[in-house]
Amino acid sequence: MWEGHYALLQDHDVQSNVREHKSEQTALADPALKIGQMAYAGSSRRAQVLRAFKLRDHIFHGVTFTAAVGVLIILGGVIVSLVQGSMPAIRTFGFGFLAAKTWNPVTGHFGALPAIYGTLVTSIVAIIIAVPIGLGIAVFLTELCPQALKRPVGIAVELLAGIPSIIYGIWGLFVFAPFLQQYVQPYLISLFGPVPGLSALFAGPPYGIGFLTSGFILAIMVLPYIASISRDVFETVPPVLKEAAYGVGCTTSEVVGKVVLPYARVGVIGGIMLALGRALGETMAVTFVIGNSHNISASLFAPGTTISASIANEFTEATSSLYTASLIELGLILFVITFIVLAAARLMLMRIERKAQV
Amino acid sequence: MNSMTPVGIDLRAKISVKNLKFFYGQNQVLKNINMPLFANKVTALIGPSGCGKSTFLRVLNRMYDLYPRQHAEGEVLLDGENILDPKQDLNLLRARVGMVFQKPTPFPMSIYENIAFGIRLYEKLPKSELDGRVETALKGAALWDEVKQKLNASGLSLSGGQQQRLCIARTVAIKPEVILFDEPCSALDPISTAKVEELIDELKNSYTIAIVTHNMQQAARVSEFAAFMYLGELVEFSGTSQLFTSPEQKQTLNYITGRFG
Amino acid sequence: MRGMKIYEARRARDKFAMVLYCGAAVLGIVWLLFILFALVRSGVGGLSLTVFTQNTPPPGSAGGLLNAIVGSLIMTAVGVAIGAPIGLLAGTYLAEYGRGSVLASTVRFINDILLSAPSIVIGLFVYEIMVAPMGHFSGISGAIALAIIVIPVVLRTTEDMLLLVPGALREAGTALGMTRALVINKVAYRAAKAGLVTGMLLAVARVSGETAPLLFTALNNQFFDANLNEPMPSLPVVIYQFALSPYKDWQKLAWAGALLITFAVLALSIFARVLGSRKAAQ
Repeated sequence: MWEGHYALLQDHDVQSNVREHKSEQTALADPALKIGQMAYAGSSRRAQVLRAFKLRDHIFHGVTFTAAVGVLIILGGVIVSLVQGSMPAIRTFGFGFLAAKTWNPVTGHFGALPAIYGTLVTSIVAIIIAVPIGLGIAVFLTELCPQALKRPVGIAVELLAGIPSIIYGIWGLFVFAPFLQQYVQPYLISLFGPVPGLSALFAGPPYGIGFLTSGFILAIMVLPYIASISRDVFETVPPVLKEAAYGVGCTTSEVVGKVVLPYARVGVIGGIMLALGRALGETMAVTFVIGNSHNISASLFAPGTTISASIANEFTEATSSLYTASLIELGLILFVITFIVLAAARLMLMRIERKAQV
Repeated sequence: MNSMTPVGIDLRAKISVKNLKFFYGQNQVLKNINMPLFANKVTALIGPSGCGKSTFLRVLNRMYDLYPRQHAEGEVLLDGENILDPKQDLNLLRARVGMVFQKPTPFPMSIYENIAFGIRLYEKLPKSELDGRVETALKGAALWDEVKQKLNASGLSLSGGQQQRLCIARTVAIKPEVILFDEPCSALDPISTAKVEELIDELKNSYTIAIVTHNMQQAARVSEFAAFMYLGELVEFSGTSQLFTSPEQKQTLNYITGRFG
Repeated sequence: MRGMKIYEARRARDKFAMVLYCGAAVLGIVWLLFILFALVRSGVGGLSLTVFTQNTPPPGSAGGLLNAIVGSLIMTAVGVAIGAPIGLLAGTYLAEYGRGSVLASTVRFINDILLSAPSIVIGLFVYEIMVAPMGHFSGISGAIALAIIVIPVVLRTTEDMLLLVPGALREAGTALGMTRALVINKVAYRAAKAGLVTGMLLAVARVSGETAPLLFTALNNQFFDANLNEPMPSLPVVIYQFALSPYKDWQKLAWAGALLITFAVLALSIFARVLGSRKAAQ
């Protein structure tokens, strides 16, 4: 059905583009105008109205064009202003900024490594938790869910995406972190403590706040993105392909594993990347529960910081211009990382959209 | 029923359809269908679009179960066992009643895997034996010579006609008892169509076959029995040559002579 | 039948997988309920009439959230008033004039990235271009930051909705001798009206809970002040500040504010979805 729509739209588009080109070259070639002028050759009022319409058409075209270009200007502006704002820090620390571990406002030494580390670790934890659950929800919604439950469950999942991140933060700090500290973390310590290699990840006293808690909260926040994008992508799998798999006697989980997932792979990865982009840049929820210490620790229970949490926490308190510039440079790094991840996600999703339209 | 035994030899009904009614929600699209599918014969289902012939086919392997608000009443006996029974195991049923679709539907995996995948569902074979089964299936579908050099290529890299034969090979590899063809040639060129028709002719030695087709020449070429359906009813069922040369019903005559549909 | 043993194993695996899929769905819903339950439990206690009639208090005394609520409303309204028209016009360009052009696909691509870009970076950007030159925090810079977040949301829905308007409808307009602008304004916008409103509502829902871009643009203000040139309080920033404070009164107000904002945002997005799906059903 959509394909039909698109075909129709594109067809129309070609025609109207042609029409537009003509009218730009020779206004008189516009058939409507020409007929209008012949029929009302004597009526200058009519011609006036038409000219006014033409003028308004050009203005409207120009205004929408400007707005569209405005989006590009915003992007350019963000990059330029961030680079400019971080110049003092870039001049002082150079590339060493990326690898330095100290973050000391008193001595004026700033390094981004702990914040970058925390950003990556929390996001990876989030993705590891959210991907299986999100995919599970998407499979449930497309393959298993009784018709009557589809909308309520779908809406519930999307509402999770609608809850402001500050709410996740306050909930995370006062409700979820104590819950993790009391029940989940001691269990993880006793489970993985004796396992060589993993024990370092789950070492130390359970504070409640730290990388793991932030990862959990981020997982809940990005879950809806993974679930709803995967659902949309699963729905592009041609029903006849699924029927063919059922036709050879596959069970539902085999159809999902052998046909739906392989077919939708690119789109699902795109959705995961999009969720990763969100997790990397998420601020408020993490700020509440990360612990805010510029510290690199192998243990997931340790407090740490992320780029966005550092900025949120310290920006208004930054006294020296070098301090401010270092925070802005952190923002620049964050923007570059998320830009790359999100761009990759979009390219993958575009590929599956094109596939669905063929 | 004497008009139904044109071949003269003894016929065994592999599938007997009795008082079959089918509904999309409130809408009844099949009205009291009664007909057999004889073992090792090809039965063609013809009729204008929307007459219910594809729906009929999808009842025989209960494909309609995938969709809400569709249900069937009556009996469909496969070797005497009613497959409409709610207790019927659908995966097992579909392994016994295979289906080939209008458009080729290779799975998103290699040519080899497309075949081996189905076999592995029911049998655990050593690699060498599995290879042999894949080869037999591809040979059975007259595709082996064209793909033996590139078994690891994606099934999607084949031409439309090759894809359709791959799907037939995949269906055959599972060793079903009945194969349903839903307009298998409508997306194919004439040469591929001829190959698929040849294949159907060979397959009937081992399987019971039902084929939905829009093309009456095709029905005449490949089938021994033919059913003409119209507006959800079975108008006439008889030997193919009889149905095409001296139909008993006026509607059948009108359709095959091209007066409507 | 042959292969029954293998089949039994497959069926067991299928059953197990089904349990996992359903479990995932249950988990998703349980999390939502868990959060809503905690919000109601901790938030209802702090809700009273004074929340709506008094300003935010100094530490240790009672008060309300009036200035924060008003500040949020003002900045959201101004932000949407600035951002929505730009998003609408840009979306119109993509769907109507620039379809298939390199510019349009570039803008679409960049817009999709901005849609998910970290909002704290938008805050930094506005700080650099407005707060730093002006020398002080202000409500208007908060509103601009929100506007920049509104644009991609509205742009995206506008383009999607206009693409759903049948081409034949546009052709009918063109056949009457209407210019392109007239066809868009009189035909396409009207046909897509419900969808466009949905987009705006979703944008409002999105920005009314935004905190990060306001932290160092609008900052906060303990007093009631409708002057956009002054620092302006907002509900999310007050929640942030109060929740992390050691004072019980403040924490209670933070929960009350969190409850308010969540239900406002959820109500908005449900309303928007109902509106959108009713249109889709037609």
